[in-house]
Amino acid sequence: MKGTRLILGVLVSIVLIATTMGACKTTPAIDPGKTPFKIGMTNPVTGVAAEKGAPMAAANLDAIEYINNELGGVDGHKIEVLALDDGYDAAKAVTMVKRFIDEDYLFFTTASSGMMTAMMESANRDAFPGIVAFSAPNLTQPPQHIYGQTPDYGDDWTAFANYYMKNIWKGSGKPKMALHLLNNSTGAGAKKAAQAKAAELGIELVDIKEHAATTSSEIASLTEIKAKNIDVLYISSTPAPTAVIIKNAKELGMYPGITIASGHAGITKALVDLAGADVVEGVYGVYPTVQWGENVPGMAKMTEYVRKNHPQYEGNADYIVSWAQSLIAAEILRLALKNAGTDKLTPQIVEEQGFKKLKNYDVGGLHGPVTYTAGDNRLSKSVRVLQVQSGKIVPITGWIEAPLITYAK
Amino acid sequence: MDLPAGTRNYSYADDMTIFRTRTQKLMLVGLFIMLLAIPLWMNRTWLGLVNLMGITIIAATGLNILTGYCGQLSIGHAGFIAVGAYTSAVLTSRLEMPFLVGLLGGGVLAGLVGVIFGIPSLRVKGFYLAISTIAAFFIIIWVITHWDSVTGGFMGMSVPLASIGPIVFKSEESQFFLIMGITVLCIFFAKNLARTRVGRAFVAIRDNDLAAEVMGINLFRYKLTAFFIGCFMAGIAGSLRAHYTGFLSYEFFTLTDSILFIGIIIIGGLGTTLGPILGVVFIKLLDHLLTHWLVPLIEGKHILPAGFASGITPMVFGLAIILFLILEPRGIAHRWQLFKASYRLWPFSY
Repeated sequence: MKGTRLILGVLVSIVLIATTMGACKTTPAIDPGKTPFKIGMTNPVTGVAAEKGAPMAAANLDAIEYINNELGGVDGHKIEVLALDDGYDAAKAVTMVKRFIDEDYLFFTTASSGMMTAMMESANRDAFPGIVAFSAPNLTQPPQHIYGQTPDYGDDWTAFANYYMKNIWKGSGKPKMALHLLNNSTGAGAKKAAQAKAAELGIELVDIKEHAATTSSEIASLTEIKAKNIDVLYISSTPAPTAVIIKNAKELGMYPGITIASGHAGITKALVDLAGADVVEGVYGVYPTVQWGENVPGMAKMTEYVRKNHPQYEGNADYIVSWAQSLIAAEILRLALKNAGTDKLTPQIVEEQGFKKLKNYDVGGLHGPVTYTAGDNRLSKSVRVLQVQSGKIVPITGWIEAPLITYAK
Repeated sequence: MDLPAGTRNYSYADDMTIFRTRTQKLMLVGLFIMLLAIPLWMNRTWLGLVNLMGITIIAATGLNILTGYCGQLSIGHAGFIAVGAYTSAVLTSRLEMPFLVGLLGGGVLAGLVGVIFGIPSLRVKGFYLAISTIAAFFIIIWVITHWDSVTGGFMGMSVPLASIGPIVFKSEESQFFLIMGITVLCIFFAKNLARTRVGRAFVAIRDNDLAAEVMGINLFRYKLTAFFIGCFMAGIAGSLRAHYTGFLSYEFFTLTDSILFIGIIIIGGLGTTLGPILGVVFIKLLDHLLTHWLVPLIEGKHILPAGFASGITPMVFGLAIILFLILEPRGIAHRWQLFKASYRLWPFSY
């Protein structure tokens, strides 16, 4: 009896101590005495790119809310964000980056390669660092002060082409590839990479077709491609035209029978919804982030915030990119604070001690590891190859690094 | 109504003089001093906005000559700006010519392209002409995106900084003097053009082209002249924009911009020199204040959810244009004229 009481007493004590410790455990908090770190963010919340910009802006701010409220900012320093809507208007974007520079922001982030193209001249001139979510080679080559968060559309092609040659192509000689490209930088990036690297990888480029974002039929262009007996069709476009092309390819009896792959702008849930699961079954794609619902450490918190603040964006792939962008921004500030040994940060200190010290930051597993490599301003160089299987887009590889392609000027 | 009280014309030269009284001349000098002093007190954000306003004023003034004075509706103005921008960029970066050659080359080529697309204006007018200028816009953008070897295609191209001799316009302040200098010249040109034989011919064509032709005005010549001048100014604005931003992409020139230019000259006042200036200042300031201050304030205070507040900007824009069309279809310039007239007679207005 005495022994039982002792055991019970010990157990009760353990429970009480544990409860007290749990109660005493505090989440890190912002220290009001510490200088806040100011960063500027622009997204095309309105205008022609609002479909992507609105969820990206929401994700940026949700992640900053999470960092400030639950992680105590950056070692107690609050991250103060000025979030502006560039409206996908180059003139507006230029005034915005100038404002960030004038008002002592430490760096800035933006969503699209188009707007960063407008802003980069001012930013580079003032050595003011910036991160762009969706990058293009002209932004990071030659490397100056603009950093690409994810690999560009050319990197997509290279990563897939490497995978195709190693894992899919079983024939003899060179496989024949055709490209079907959206008539903007999404298509142009893939075209440049394919033209630069196809021969080296042992691929014969037999045809390059372009389409508009509003295309409703590509029967004519695909008929020409079909006549060339291709082995693989690579599409670098947005989901709606990609769906049209794949549906048309199926109608013409080209697919299945050839391999079809899509760059990261096209391989989203919207593609499966638009084309139909049976049509796109087996289609390959490459993407720089994980998919919603995957078992990675950063998924739970992101899902919690999207459900709390913007439930309409749950399932939106762009949300993941910008959530990750804000996490990377916080990591850059943390590194700068740690390495500089002072909290009097400047854009130059942040770039040297923050951006350039990034090494294998895993972003909660949400996208490929983030590392700065001298001479290569792409922060994440990795994509995963995906495939539509039973109506779902599933990863079939781990992170594949896309090598840096140096384009002719 | 334009003359101050007690001022009369005693000669043709008096009638032609723009600035008649000592007060007017002093105000002009004061305006120039204020303009020159702007870089001394304005920070770079606002100076950047003023520079963009200057570039937009040049483009809007060109459109005002074409549409406001000559009555030829153009919805392809952004395309002509793109021609000037890319011509200047190609001349200065690929052919390594001086900036001034690029600037004038951009203006001239945009003017010539404008003349080509203006030829249908001899046969069609109104909505039909508007559609043909939209076609011009799409053709221009198509050429830009597909002439990779020259324009960089979809990837765009870098543009060097503007320079004249040893002076490189690198800082915002130096660019201000370049842009404002050219803006003042363009406004001066437009003001004087309106008072010349050519300007009067434009107005006659706008008011009734049949009557103008009967009066002996050569429609072919004057309509195409209006296209050349309007698009020349668009080209100049494009060149300045290219050297200001340092990079060109076809995405910088949108059909929405073309429509906004129409909105600017309607809000400012069609067929007046002051109209494009007031229209640009109004639109750009409104846009800047909404985008940079009001929306972040609303979103920061969580008054409205992120994204929703941003939608306020286009809504307010649309509302402003509708209100101007209903309440003051002759634009801010006309309101300014009314104010001046009542001010001159105050307190004895009747």
